[in-house]
Parts: sequence; C-alpha cells; structure tokens
Amino acid sequence: MKKTLTVCAALLAAPLALPARAGVPEALKEHILPGYAGFAQATETLAGAAQADCTAPALRGAWMHAFDLWNAVADIHIGPSETGALPVAFWPDSRGFTPKTLTKLISGEEEIGHDPLGYGDVSIAARGLYPLEFMLYDPQFSDYEKGSYACTLVQTMTRDLARQAATLDAGWEEQFADVLRTAGQEGNATYMGEDEAVRAIYTQILTGLEFTADTRLGRPLGTFERPRPTRAEAWRSGRSLRNVLQDSKGAYDMAAALADWDLPQSKAALDRLYELAERVEDPSFQKVEDPGERLHVEILQQQVRALSDALEQEIGVRLGIQPGFNSGDGD
Amino acid sequence: MTTRRSFIASLLAVSAAPATGWAAVGDPSYLAAAKQGDGSFVLIGLREGGDEAFRVPLPARGHAACAHPSRAEAVGFARRPGTYALVIDCISGEVLHELSAPEGHSFNGHGAFSADGTVLFTSEQVAEGSEGRVGIWDVDAGYARVSDIPTHGLGPHELRLMPDGQSLVVANGGIQTDAFDRNQLNVDTMQPSLAYVGFDGSLLERVELDPELHQNSIRHLALRPDGLVGFCMQWQGEAGAATPLLGLHRRGAAPVLCEAPLEDELVMSGYAGSVAFAGGGSEIAITSPKGGRMHRFSDAGEFLGAVSRTDVCGLATHDGGYMASDGLGGLILVQGKTPKPLRRAEVAWDNHLVRIAG
Repeated sequence: MKKTLTVCAALLAAPLALPARAGVPEALKEHILPGYAGFAQATETLAGAAQADCTAPALRGAWMHAFDLWNAVADIHIGPSETGALPVAFWPDSRGFTPKTLTKLISGEEEIGHDPLGYGDVSIAARGLYPLEFMLYDPQFSDYEKGSYACTLVQTMTRDLARQAATLDAGWEEQFADVLRTAGQEGNATYMGEDEAVRAIYTQILTGLEFTADTRLGRPLGTFERPRPTRAEAWRSGRSLRNVLQDSKGAYDMAAALADWDLPQSKAALDRLYELAERVEDPSFQKVEDPGERLHVEILQQQVRALSDALEQEIGVRLGIQPGFNSGDGD
Repeated sequence: MTTRRSFIASLLAVSAAPATGWAAVGDPSYLAAAKQGDGSFVLIGLREGGDEAFRVPLPARGHAACAHPSRAEAVGFARRPGTYALVIDCISGEVLHELSAPEGHSFNGHGAFSADGTVLFTSEQVAEGSEGRVGIWDVDAGYARVSDIPTHGLGPHELRLMPDGQSLVVANGGIQTDAFDRNQLNVDTMQPSLAYVGFDGSLLERVELDPELHQNSIRHLALRPDGLVGFCMQWQGEAGAATPLLGLHRRGAAPVLCEAPLEDELVMSGYAGSVAFAGGGSEIAITSPKGGRMHRFSDAGEFLGAVSRTDVCGLATHDGGYMASDGLGGLILVQGKTPKPLRRAEVAWDNHLVRIAG
C-alpha cells in the first residue's frame, strides 16, 4: 500500500520535475536563420532586377516576393533586428514621412539617390520595403521613365535594401544565433539562463501577433463611425490581407519550431484564420466602410487574438512564462 | 517666532542619534525591492558584487525606497497614489514607523534624506488638482510630520537632495490626475518641469523644455557631486514620436537633451524608467523596461551605445560603471560598453535600484 502511494506521488510529480524542453536551436535552424537567408536572397534578386530594368511594372513581382519572405521574420525585434528591422519595414508612418521624404528626394534630385552606399544615411522613412511600394504602386510616383532620377533612386533603394538584408542575415548567422544558443553560459549578459532565450523568442511571437491584431488590422478598422482604410498596411500593392496571414503564419511557424511538442489548438486557430480570410472581399481592406466587410475584418482580428491565446496556452502556460514585471508596470 | 527655515536648520544642526549603521546588515551598497517566487515582496540589500547583504519582508509591492545615510533604515513608499510609507529597520525587518500622507495628499513614490539623515523629504501631490508638495519629516522625532513646501509644478515624481545640502531638485511630471480614478486630465496641456527648491519652499530655478516636448513627463533624476542633474522622461504623446528621453542640466545653464539615433530611440518606446551616472561620472545612462534596453550617453549628451536586456529597469552608480537590475532577476555590471552578468537571483527586481550614500 505504501509503495503504491509513493509511485503515485512520483507520477504526479513527474510533469513538474521534468522541465518542459523548448528548442531555441530548432527555432533558429528551422525558422529564423532560413528566414533571413531567404529574405537576403530575394532582395538581391530584386536589386538585380532593378539593375536590368528599373521601371515599376518590371519590379513588382520581385518586390512582392521579397515582401513575402520578409513576413516570415518581420516581427522579430531582438539581436540585429532590434534596430535593424525598422529601416527595412518602417510602418506605420502616421505622419506621412515616407511620401514626404521621397518627394523631397525626387523633386530636388538629391545626390544621395545615386549613392547606394551613402543611402544608409537617408531617413529610414525612405528606406526599405514601404517607400519602394510607393515607387512601384502609387500613381503619384510609379509612372517614372527609364533613365529618370526616380528610376535611379529605385535602383539605389533596392541595392540599399539588399545590403540591409545581407547585414541582418550575417548578424544573425555569425553573431546573434550564438548569443541565443549560449544562453545561461558564463559571460552571456543578454540571456542569463536558457529559459530567457526561450522567453525572448516566445515574446517575439506574441508581440508580433499583437501588432497584427492591433495595428495591421486595427488601424484600417479605426472606429465604427470612422473606419480608416488608407491606414492599412501595404494597401497600395493590395497585400494588406496577405501580410496579416503571412505574419501570423510566421509567428505560428516559429512557435512550432520552438516547441518540441504538438500545438493542436494553435494549428487549428491558424487554419481557421486562413478560412476566415476567404470571406474578406478586398485584400487591401479598402472596403471596411461597408458594415459587412468590416465585420469580416473584425472577425479576422478576433481570430489573430485567438491564435495568440492558443499559443499562450500551449507554450507560455506550459513553460510558466509570466509577463514582464517592470515593462508592463510604468511609473 | 520660529520660521520654517530656522526650524529646518535647527533639525539639521542636531547630530543624528547614535543608531545601528549599515555595517550591521552587511554593508550593502544598494537597496532593491523585489517580488519573490511565492508572490510576496521583500526589500533586499545588495553589495557591489551583487551578492545579498540582507532581506526583509515588505507588506506589498512598493515603488522606490530611500536609504537613511547612516542608520540601517529604509523608507519604502507605496505604489502611487500611495497614502502610506514605511520606515523599515533593515536589521530586524520590523516596521519602525508608518508614515501617513496628510489628508488630501498622496505620496508619489520617492523621497530623500538630508545629508545628515535628520530630515526626510517626500514627494507628494494634493489629490485635488495634483499640485506638488514636498513633505518634511523630523526623523529624530520618530518621523514626525513638520510641514510641507511647494514643488512649483504638478504631479511631482522623484526628488533629490542637491550636493549643496541646502536645496532639492524635483522632477515635476506635469500630469494632473483625477483624484479618484487616476485618469490623466491634462495630457494636451501638461507642462513638466525640473524645479530647484530651497528648504523654505522658495523656487530657486525652474527648467521647462521646448513647447513641442511638453508631453515629455520628467520623472526620475540622477545627480553628480558637482551638481550636474540628469533627468529622464516618459513620453505621453502619440506613439512613435521618438523624442529624447534624457536631459542634463546644471543650475543657471540651458538643459542639454540627449538624443539617440532614430532606430534606437524608437526601441525605447518613449519610456525611461531609471537614470544613473556611471561611477566616475563621465557618462550617464537610462533604462527602458518596455524596450528592454539601456542607453548610455556622455556627460555632454552624446550617444555612446545601447545594452539590450529584457525588462531592465533598475539602474544605479557602481564603482566600475553601472549596476542594472531586471524583472528576470538579473544583476548586471555594465562597464563601458560591456555588460557583465553578476548573477541571476530567484526574484523579480522591481523598478528601482537605490544607491546607499557613503
């Protein structure tokens, strides 16, 4: 009798005694590092294409492809991406710096537009994917001719973007991946325990989904009385919905690589998100003024939050990860 | 008639009663409040190397503590809007005195002792209207309330004793809050200031930033022995404005704002939680728990670099640079640009790391 009790106690204790293992090396190998490598390659292709033909119609496909690949890692903001993600993807631009800066560069035919190396000093509002979207899709910018200043500017911008992507890729591959892998080892002041590296990646997943729900979807939704369709992300190129889906999938994929256990609720939530997306009529969220369409976008927003909740249950709760003690406090 | 000034002067003149000093609790250099794994709160004394000198219980999560300059006594302030502060004996953990804010006042989380430890100054605001007051307490009379003087601004937060020992510098956050629900009432018109106040309540100097920075709430302070003041801010305006979060000021001169490159500034999320000078005083840093970052600047305001660390907030001067603490339990010595992990404790360090004088 006594023996049986001991066995029971041991069984009960087992799930607590065994630390849930989460795979930082797997998240790096399966998701993060290939993500940056793929983006570097796609931006190199874009820059090459711009060299051959810098007009807008010729570059849209390569730009689209680069953005698709960016979305796998778009919401990672640690290591080289802590400050390095912003000049790739400066959005939201609530004060309209991007069109203003582009207009200033083009109307003044500023010398820096000819200088791919020096272009790194230009305001981040005129660097990366979003100003290129203006150049390639916005009627006010996109009708430039071969040989024009704008055409050269696009070549310069794509070259600068490729260089940024290569820098991010190298920063992760050659430096920061090791900072994550050596969490808890002597001298690592960024991650003082393996659990902190897990937490860091997990936080990227949740904050990314929060950004998708609150900003990528919340901005165009505005309020019921005042929807703001032109505040949608990348609406000019019609990829607002695509970004929502790809960014959510990026978060899920990174989570699946991080967890070495199944995430059935989260997987179901992601699948459901894709199903619900089919109801949205306009992939650039330009019809949110219509109550029916608005509802579809709101449902999408709820589903992104449901995915976040599922991941919180299936990873955060299991690992006992608590929100930041000071970051959520404020004083 | 005894004037307020002469009364305070008489308090300062009386030598502190002999009591048991910080040596009795293992010579800590810092005080830090923390949350333990079981959810309870403690006040911990830390030595320069990050090891623990003492640990005493706290009844609830506090904001900041201030350390008596010689006796092993700490005053812990309740979270805002606090109506009480506790004087804790760091040897026994006993609550020696419970200070109550006067009717209609609340404590705003920070306080400072006079150099000789005979007077305690507390940051307070009048509930109705948020007018700032400095509470004055007679330490040797068992922390008896003496009087209060104006901070010359609304919603004061941290206050510090100036190196002259004769005046205070106060961070007037500028925010007027509703007396009942704490909602901010004046975000559009708020006007923070850095105020230098004599012990008699006279305004010696007030510094305000340019009008476009009027939503940059001045909240925490660092002092260098030569009188250079570092003040850090929390942006209350639209997100993404990337305003400077640190300023330097010297009496009689114009303030110097310390700006980081745009990408770095944006990572800080418009929020600085603590500020401290490095040992030696040639540089100064701020922390942002929201950004998980520490930014270092020269004493002329030039950006020197960033250290990334999740939930970092506590920051204090260390002989070798800075000591930083965070909600994951980390204690990190930052020497120049190099962060050196000291240890990770099994507690979540709260907002502030307070340097004990001497």
